[in-house]
Amino acid sequence: MKLFYNRENKVLPDSRVLLKDKPEERVLLLGNEAIARGILEAGIAIVTTYPGTPASEIGDSISEIAKEAGLYMEYSTNEMVATEVAGGAANCGIRALTAMKHVGLNVAADMVMTLAYAGVRGGYVIVTADDPECYSSQNEQDNRFYALLSNLPCLEPSSSQEAKDMTVSAIEISEKLDIPVLLRTTTRVSHTRGPVEYGKLTKPRLKGEFIRDVKRLVMVPAYSRPKHPVLLKKAEMAKEISETSPYNKVVHEGKSSELSMISSSAACNYMQEAANLLGIDADILKLGMTHPLPEKKIGQFLKKHKKIVVVEELEPYLEMQVKAIAKDYAPNVEVYGKMNVQYFPREGELSTRTVAAGLAKITGKKLPIDFEGIDEKFSEIAKELPARPPILCAGCPHRASFYLMRKAYGEKALYPTDIGCYALGIASPLNIGDIMICMGASLGMAQGINRATDRDTIAIVGDSTFFHAAIPGLVNAVYNNSKIIVAVLDNLTTAMTGHQPHPGTGTTGMQVPSERILVEKVAEGCGIKYVRVVDPFKTKETEAVLREASQQSGPSVIVFRSPCTLIALREKRRKGVELVACRITEKCTDCMACIKMLGCPAIVVEEGKARIDEALCGGCGLCVAVCPYKAIECVKLK
Amino acid sequence: MKERIETKEYNIVLAGVGGQGTLLAAEILGTAAMKEGLNVRVSEIHGMAQRGGAVVSDVRIGKDVLAPTVLDGQADVLLGFEPLETLRNLRFASEKTLVIMSDDKVPPTELAAKNKKYPKIEEIIEKIHRFTDKVVVVETRKLAKEAGSILAQNSVLVGALAASGEMPLKVESITEALQELVPAKYVEVNLKAFNLGLERAKRQT
Repeated sequence: MKLFYNRENKVLPDSRVLLKDKPEERVLLLGNEAIARGILEAGIAIVTTYPGTPASEIGDSISEIAKEAGLYMEYSTNEMVATEVAGGAANCGIRALTAMKHVGLNVAADMVMTLAYAGVRGGYVIVTADDPECYSSQNEQDNRFYALLSNLPCLEPSSSQEAKDMTVSAIEISEKLDIPVLLRTTTRVSHTRGPVEYGKLTKPRLKGEFIRDVKRLVMVPAYSRPKHPVLLKKAEMAKEISETSPYNKVVHEGKSSELSMISSSAACNYMQEAANLLGIDADILKLGMTHPLPEKKIGQFLKKHKKIVVVEELEPYLEMQVKAIAKDYAPNVEVYGKMNVQYFPREGELSTRTVAAGLAKITGKKLPIDFEGIDEKFSEIAKELPARPPILCAGCPHRASFYLMRKAYGEKALYPTDIGCYALGIASPLNIGDIMICMGASLGMAQGINRATDRDTIAIVGDSTFFHAAIPGLVNAVYNNSKIIVAVLDNLTTAMTGHQPHPGTGTTGMQVPSERILVEKVAEGCGIKYVRVVDPFKTKETEAVLREASQQSGPSVIVFRSPCTLIALREKRRKGVELVACRITEKCTDCMACIKMLGCPAIVVEEGKARIDEALCGGCGLCVAVCPYKAIECVKLK
Repeated sequence: MKERIETKEYNIVLAGVGGQGTLLAAEILGTAAMKEGLNVRVSEIHGMAQRGGAVVSDVRIGKDVLAPTVLDGQADVLLGFEPLETLRNLRFASEKTLVIMSDDKVPPTELAAKNKKYPKIEEIIEKIHRFTDKVVVVETRKLAKEAGSILAQNSVLVGALAASGEMPLKVESITEALQELVPAKYVEVNLKAFNLGLERAKRQT
């Protein structure tokens, strides 16, 4: 089968702007692109990642320029493997970086926690991109607590400029202490464009040397036990670095000595603007190195003031520690934040408005903008607005797969689902997806649900997610003989995060061909007896396979293989292949079956009549197959 | 208390549907600001939220700008790529806001499923008038088609924005940025679309 993967036709601009060897040049960069530039300035030789919003563009930018920049990058099968590969390389004395979204660090945590003991010889940075407000995530965990848990230093940028600078600084700190360093961004840092002034590029050193040192590197109990105090000592040294770090500084000296403010990361931006809005002229201590915190610096700052406001997104990570420091340095200082009285929300992302509202409450000042008036006026508009949640694209093969599953099993079956575009199948009218927790969990949960209910259970998992975390679940199903159906929706790419390659695509992050690993071969190798590959747009064949699968006595795997429509269309346009679109003919009886069964965004209703928007239509022909009156046809577009 | 305060910033809210080129338009504006040596922040939404869903991108220009998002009521321009999405972001508008809106409807699937009608453009404009009188409706699909591709509707809107007298960005900076960011083979069509949008807005404002 022809693969449709092609990054050259990406609509977004050229990552080669990152390669410019022009120090002091100012460029507009996304926070993630700024980290990619930092990688080049820090001379990092190996970059590993598993794509995940809001971290994806770090790896993607590097993938596009890796050859030219003379470094190695890979899309690893998951964040754990990514950390292992980079951790191995960093222990040969070369510089490494791994990028992942916040929940990726849960996957990598086993490696990270003990790599902290063993340490590294070349600088190693782990980027965790947190997602307050769950813009594209299943939770909004605050990964600064991983820094506390692992004793690793943590830097938190608030802008694209800092994102670049801190990538370089993180490598320096890592090499000073011989431990990995966390670089924690949030969505609003990773996905905000801002000016970045370039520094000098550093040529990466690609090859190193592995020096055998079992006491340092083999973490059996006898050797890991003494490494714990070593790590704690390094954490003490990190605290000294934090005390003098240029990232921990008073960014504004105010006239009022009564009140002062402490903040970090994106929250600090909102706080500074909110203070301006309210006319609060207070000292502001901005923290960029947030683990370990500069205890003395904060202690001295607390001593100078009566009231301290701590503004931070998500958990009261800073506030807890500021209060602990206050106990020793300034026991009478009043600390305002979100622990006892919630002046700022602990869930969701902050905004200048929410911070201003909290500050107004604390200081008794009046908000200069009539937010409540705006809310009231806007609520009139909002209540009549139809929702527009993200949906499966027109032409998406997942729609065909889900339609057929529903046709074959209906309400009879349960559908644990997984992380990817196909999670959008939960929307009406497809209604596929009953439980979704984390990467790969659909398979294991399906087994538990099947044991507990004896109902047909179909685990939905995508191709990239299959390789990422589903294989142990698959082995478990065979080993413990669970009668589940695993539906692998293979669209030949990692679609949700921006069409990155994966082990099933036959292309690597270096954009060179590689061995293509087929889901069906893996399934057979794991001992699955019933394995079938179907094209979901061949509806009759697929339906027959779906029915057959339920007759099996053990687990079965059906691979629904059809390329992501976005990639397929892009490729067709590039090659000048004639495009087709569907059209409703005069045979239409207005039965609305297409609307009721498919929920395709290209089919709209105007004046009680269904119409297909040919600009949106992917020409997949699923509606042609489902129309009971044969009133839809596929026609060539000019 | 007011809905609008005086600042030295220029705030643009771009609202549309995933796939309409909202992010590219925002990046063009951000890049143009950089060309003029201005401080700027551009916020974007990626990933799951993008798939045919509502997309908002903010462009904030000004010396003291730090946060990437525009405060309620404080947009100088609300650039609506789709009428309902323009309504969805009216909380950022107030009496001084200029609303530039495409009349090209992208009906949310919910409408068809619930057998509801897409509201008339006149009704939508009436709602916008509750926030501001300054509304320019642009026939983006028609103009983009005239330029050579209905995919260039985003450039039509950016052109219409460039016509606004209070914009701190020069037309040349924007077209320069457009030429850098749009893939080479589509530049001509997009420049044409930009100019059609510019001319169209000049006639109305």
